[in-house]
Amino acid sequence: MQKITLSLILGAAVVLMPGLASAAADLPKTVKIDPGPVEPVCNQNNPDWRKAQTIEGVKIQESLRCSPDNPAQIAAEVKGTNNISMQTLMETYYAADAIIKKNDMDGDGDPDLIIIKLEVAELNGHSPDFDGYVPTFDIAPGVQPGMWVFAPKSRGMATNSFVGTDANPLLRAPSPVIRVEQGDVVWIQLENSHYFPHTIHLHGVDHPWVDSSGEGNDGVPQTSDKFVLPGQSKTYEIRPRQPGTFVYHCHVQTHVHLAMGLVGMFVVEENRPNNWVQTFNVGGGQVRHPSKAILEKYDTEYDLHYHAMDKELHSIIQKYNDPRLIARDMNRLYDMTDSTEDYHTLNGRSFPYTIRESMIVTEPNQEIKIRMFNSTGELLAIHTHGHKGTITHYDGVEHNPSAQIMRDVYNLAPAQRNDLMISTKDDGLHSYGEGIWIFHDHREKGITTDGMNPGGNVSAVVYKKYLTEEGLPKGIGESITPLFTKTFFQRKYPVWQDIDEWNSLGEVDASDYVPPPPAVPVEIEPAPKGMGSDQASVSDNSGSFTNFLFGLIIGIVVYLLIINREKVMALVSSSKGGN
Amino acid sequence: MNKILSMTVLVFALFSTAAHAKEFINHDNLMSHGDGHFMDMDGAMVMGQNTDTLPGGCDKIAATKEITVHAGHKYAKKFPGRMFAFDTQEWEFEPCTKLTVHFINDDEIRHQWMMHGLPKYLYPKGMFHLEVTGPGEVSGTLIFPPGDKTYLVHCDISQHMEKGMKAQLKIGNGSGDLPSIPGVTANVIQDDYSQSIPDINPNPAPVKNASASTSGDNTVGSGDDSLVSGVTVIGLLIGLILAPILAKKFKGMTVSEVVAYIFELVSQLIGFVINLISNIFKKIFSKKAIELPQDK
Repeated sequence: MQKITLSLILGAAVVLMPGLASAAADLPKTVKIDPGPVEPVCNQNNPDWRKAQTIEGVKIQESLRCSPDNPAQIAAEVKGTNNISMQTLMETYYAADAIIKKNDMDGDGDPDLIIIKLEVAELNGHSPDFDGYVPTFDIAPGVQPGMWVFAPKSRGMATNSFVGTDANPLLRAPSPVIRVEQGDVVWIQLENSHYFPHTIHLHGVDHPWVDSSGEGNDGVPQTSDKFVLPGQSKTYEIRPRQPGTFVYHCHVQTHVHLAMGLVGMFVVEENRPNNWVQTFNVGGGQVRHPSKAILEKYDTEYDLHYHAMDKELHSIIQKYNDPRLIARDMNRLYDMTDSTEDYHTLNGRSFPYTIRESMIVTEPNQEIKIRMFNSTGELLAIHTHGHKGTITHYDGVEHNPSAQIMRDVYNLAPAQRNDLMISTKDDGLHSYGEGIWIFHDHREKGITTDGMNPGGNVSAVVYKKYLTEEGLPKGIGESITPLFTKTFFQRKYPVWQDIDEWNSLGEVDASDYVPPPPAVPVEIEPAPKGMGSDQASVSDNSGSFTNFLFGLIIGIVVYLLIINREKVMALVSSSKGGN
Repeated sequence: MNKILSMTVLVFALFSTAAHAKEFINHDNLMSHGDGHFMDMDGAMVMGQNTDTLPGGCDKIAATKEITVHAGHKYAKKFPGRMFAFDTQEWEFEPCTKLTVHFINDDEIRHQWMMHGLPKYLYPKGMFHLEVTGPGEVSGTLIFPPGDKTYLVHCDISQHMEKGMKAQLKIGNGSGDLPSIPGVTANVIQDDYSQSIPDINPNPAPVKNASASTSGDNTVGSGDDSLVSGVTVIGLLIGLILAPILAKKFKGMTVSEVVAYIFELVSQLIGFVINLISNIFKKIFSKKAIELPQDK
């Protein structure tokens, strides 16, 4: 009887076994990660700013993107802050003396003395009072590397309001594009409002080595210039004879100051009568008041400034408040030769923010002028989808027109500029037709933000047909809203969450998971001989072969010693006893 | 063309003086833009100017005061680790005081004397604000409301407050102290100075004459130190092993005998080593394993 009971129990256990085993053999479940607050894809839409309009007599082109430049600001940039109404000035953040334009010396209808004032602003810097950065400038949702920029002279607060910490619109990356006319007398007054010394070097721009008073004008402390110390100002004087796309940057501790963001584009436009150029293009992107010479050949003009940042360098100013500690870490402890670039920006922002500001909006049969500048530390390889552009200028110098080449990848060495002509003629060469065509760095790290993709310096050429009312691309691909969360760039959100109805590539949740014991494979067919065991014996053989060789040599030596033992003993004893 | 050029030179000459002159400007001719906002074209600014409207709760102006405040890099000199500062960090006034501030900027950049937290019905955004590009001066007036309160006074240009341009103004007894005011209160978030114990003379210059060689010996000696320490350990081990054997050997000997014996051993050892080497040499060279052709 007992025996029967036992066998019954055992039998039941055997019957139930498969069911139990399969329950225990399940893999951990999938969970959904809450993306947290999602920013609107287009956050600050000023519909009135997008229209073509004329302010203070300044013609301003249409700008259909989500965050267009403020037309009042463009009027100030074209006319100068001294030639506009107080009302227009008050609609901007410019100081009253930020851009002074006067003296039509050649009588051609435009001013020929241009006085530009630049301050130095820190973005995402340290505060001794609270655990956060000030004033803030996000390059992507929640991504706030510490940066320095040259900024047009502004008035009032560095932040938008006393309540928030976000920087006022003039304080942003990149350092603003400066535009002057060929032959203008230009004074660039650097008012060093920062806590470190700085200078300005005009890279590629025609400038005398010393100014009219015999002071240095090249910005290089080792040769011509004194440091412009905190609280001091210095005026650089130029009268550029050659047009082109050039650069300006700080030349103090250049390796880090340039990387921190003290670098911008400097464009000299060809001389034309009554040619009022837009002195600043804050944030780069579309030039809403192109010069006369550009409008002779092109419909629109864009400034594209590519930059990259090493988060190790860019966090130094966030670690300390004491400028001496910042100087120590930045100048001595930080080793740029060991650096890697983590953030890749176009006009100061990374994807997805680039689609708010730096899209190229176009329609068929247009000619677009693009000035591309690389201020990263590495070679760039910018690729345009759907278009092959013609490189017309290298480093501001026109390439022989008959030798100009068309490409779909544009190489830019560090500090290099390419002027491109992109035509939207649908001929399968210049353009493949209407669409949303992205353009981006084809070094794949360039399309990441600290390794998270999509991110980096991606933007797009968008045809009007594919543009929403709000100025966003009317995409027909996957949703980009999860990219507008901090969670995504904190690497906490699975890139492929919800790609199908049961979230097959979602996040694994093994919090209450107990793995079953590993299964023992049942031999269905005898395993073929060799394979794994063979490999092991091969590796054993190689080891034992060495051992064998070693043993052989020792054996020979010992044999020789024994054979010659009398000689050896004699040698030893003769040494002992003396001759 | 020549004409244009000469005109340019002339203009250059005329204006370059203006560009380089950093003359002190007293901005006393500001244009009113309403709401207590005054400005001129050189960037001087007053916001929240109020010379005559009494704040609610004040029966009369309790006192009329004037202060002169300087701002600039040089005022941070007495506060290590700061870059910009006002010349004064604290002020105290009684409620309903009418205060005129003469703000003098000694630098060549913008600075501000900005105050927050005033009643918004009287001061737009609750602010009183003086701003001037130096070197220059701008003045403004306001009337304080009643009640004990501490007001933040600062320069809001990026990092100027953080790097020292911060002060407090107490009305009545105030409402406590604000943090990170140079020389007055500590930072809330403090820097880590643990790595800041520098070697202020990392490469001392060699001293002249005899002492020069001593310092040279020192470096050699210090170099040997590490070597000796390794050898010492080996010596110690050998010593430990040999000690019992030696103890047996020297049993019953006097100290002088032991010393003599050791000398003998050492001399024998040296002799053995020399003989061994010379024998090896002889063995090798006597055979003339390699005969040079000219020997034949």
